[in-house]
Amino acid sequence: MATKPGTQSLNTAAIGRIIRIVPRSRNVEAALLIFALGINAYELAQIQLSTIAILRSDIWLYWLPVALLSLAFHTLLRMRASEADPILLPVAVVLNGLGIAEIYRLDLARIAQHQTNLFAGKQVVWTCIAIAIAMLVVFFIPNHLFLRRYVYIAMVIGAALLLSPLVPGLGKTINGARLWIGVGQFTFQPGELAKIALTIFFAGYLVTRRDSLALVGRRILGVRLPRARELGPILLIWAASLGILVFQRDLGTSLLYFGLFIVMIYLATGRAIYVVVGLGMFVTGALVAGRLMSYVSGRINAWLNPFDPVNYNAIGGSYQLAQGNFGLAHGSLLGAGLGGGLPQLVPLAESDFIISSLGEELGLAGLFCILVLYVLMVSRGIRIGFTHPDDFSKLLATGLSFVVALQTFIVIGGVTRVVPLTGLTTPFLAAGGSSLLANWIIVGLLLRVSDSAGGAPRAVSI
Amino acid sequence: MSDLALFLVRVGFLAVLWIFVFSILSVIRADLFGQKVVSRVAEANAPVVVSAPVIPAAPLNTPAPTDTGGIPTLDLEGSEPQIIASKLSITAGARKGQELRLDRREISIGRADNADLVIRDEFASTHHAKLVLMNGDWLIQDLNSTNGTYVNGKRVGTPVTVKIGVPVQIGNTVFELRA
Repeated sequence: MATKPGTQSLNTAAIGRIIRIVPRSRNVEAALLIFALGINAYELAQIQLSTIAILRSDIWLYWLPVALLSLAFHTLLRMRASEADPILLPVAVVLNGLGIAEIYRLDLARIAQHQTNLFAGKQVVWTCIAIAIAMLVVFFIPNHLFLRRYVYIAMVIGAALLLSPLVPGLGKTINGARLWIGVGQFTFQPGELAKIALTIFFAGYLVTRRDSLALVGRRILGVRLPRARELGPILLIWAASLGILVFQRDLGTSLLYFGLFIVMIYLATGRAIYVVVGLGMFVTGALVAGRLMSYVSGRINAWLNPFDPVNYNAIGGSYQLAQGNFGLAHGSLLGAGLGGGLPQLVPLAESDFIISSLGEELGLAGLFCILVLYVLMVSRGIRIGFTHPDDFSKLLATGLSFVVALQTFIVIGGVTRVVPLTGLTTPFLAAGGSSLLANWIIVGLLLRVSDSAGGAPRAVSI
Repeated sequence: MSDLALFLVRVGFLAVLWIFVFSILSVIRADLFGQKVVSRVAEANAPVVVSAPVIPAAPLNTPAPTDTGGIPTLDLEGSEPQIIASKLSITAGARKGQELRLDRREISIGRADNADLVIRDEFASTHHAKLVLMNGDWLIQDLNSTNGTYVNGKRVGTPVTVKIGVPVQIGNTVFELRA
């Protein structure tokens, strides 16, 4: 029974199905998912009871489609990715449900003022589309390494998506930022999807270049600088993210992409110098842009002095930010209760400022709960990257989780005045189809990668 | 609704949200605080080794060489098929003489660092095979490995029951299940 590599070629045809016993984690997921759907129903019922004082049957419209699709997602995971992480799906469903509920609550406030631009229905439709596409991701991507074949295609797609708003005729400028493409009534924010494509590209690129980035290069002043051929892409990404800042007029998006790239280089090489140099480059670029471009300096000024009457009354000034902060203050510790606050007083309360709407109605206790849910989701993603044996998947899972984390930080930090306010969407909560789509695809990819990660490390080993 | 009822609904919702968070935390408690490893040591009255995963060299309580002969001690072979194997014993290869206690969980075998049974052998694949307990029988499933898994000298394609005492070969390592 010696192992001779030549003698066993025909046997592969006989290899049957791989044994899969559905592990305990799927039952955990089912229980958490039912809990999550219960929370969603609670929110909607509470909103109807406190705003219109009765329960109407249209509550089903906002609950049932998402509930059915997320249960279908769970069933798919049982069949196709039974060892996937059990936490991600329920957390995403709770966050998404909170978003729908708050948007519905703002819609009710709009209906009371006889306005017609409603968002909750659209949000439900987009959530269903996004969950369905995440299911397709899990269904059609056979394993996590599949994506590695399309690294450079992902780069081209990512760059095209990123630059598409600049195409004349296709791109649209909304609220001063040129981040949308639009055909007729239909608008889409391609940058949201670009972050996934670019994460795939960064992961694939850095897996092959990590050693030369970490080890090769000349020492200058005690610091080992990488060679030009490895440094080139970094400078390119820096220039591209500054390009977004200048031409698409959006600070948050450019910070997101640059931050993503820096973190992934750090993950791949383990050298802190990239983080230091990268942050230095970004801050320098942003400061120069702040000098040259009025909208950046306006943002910084509004961040530092939002309650200054000059900023508060200026067009595009700090009115929105100050209103959001008043809302948060009104929410206090326990909040005004869903349906009990006045979040409609903040401009864009359903998208950019959804977190101040939720903060007003759920209070500090609820806001912290939302933050913990994000932390749980991101930490699960990073853990998937940490335990995965394959380097590409490590980078991919960690990068995708980091994108969600950084975006959440930039948005919530902006609303709560930790950093200057920028126009990114709060993952899963904010109204907007592109953002939902991108974040559910991230969840789908993380679930697919986690299925092959091999679960928790065992205590038993020889 | 009365103000009191609304207040209770409001605070109740925050409570429900936090209960959700804490139920997730209880699910991942093992990740946060580490797994308990008490029972294995306590029940180890047999000459069983549970040693560090990485370096196989000289664990303190390696069983005496009486156990390493392997095949001569096979008195259980085939005679009592009802007994579920409780340990995996390596009879040939770099880790000859070491044993792995089996519980009901599946055992992954391969060159990967996170395999339950790590085989450092150029003829072993990264994810070579896995052992799964099904209806009281341990089944071995070859995971499409390059050089194959041999049960009792025959290369296996489909999942095959591994009886107690039957040698299983992966690369240069041979192991068998024992009661």
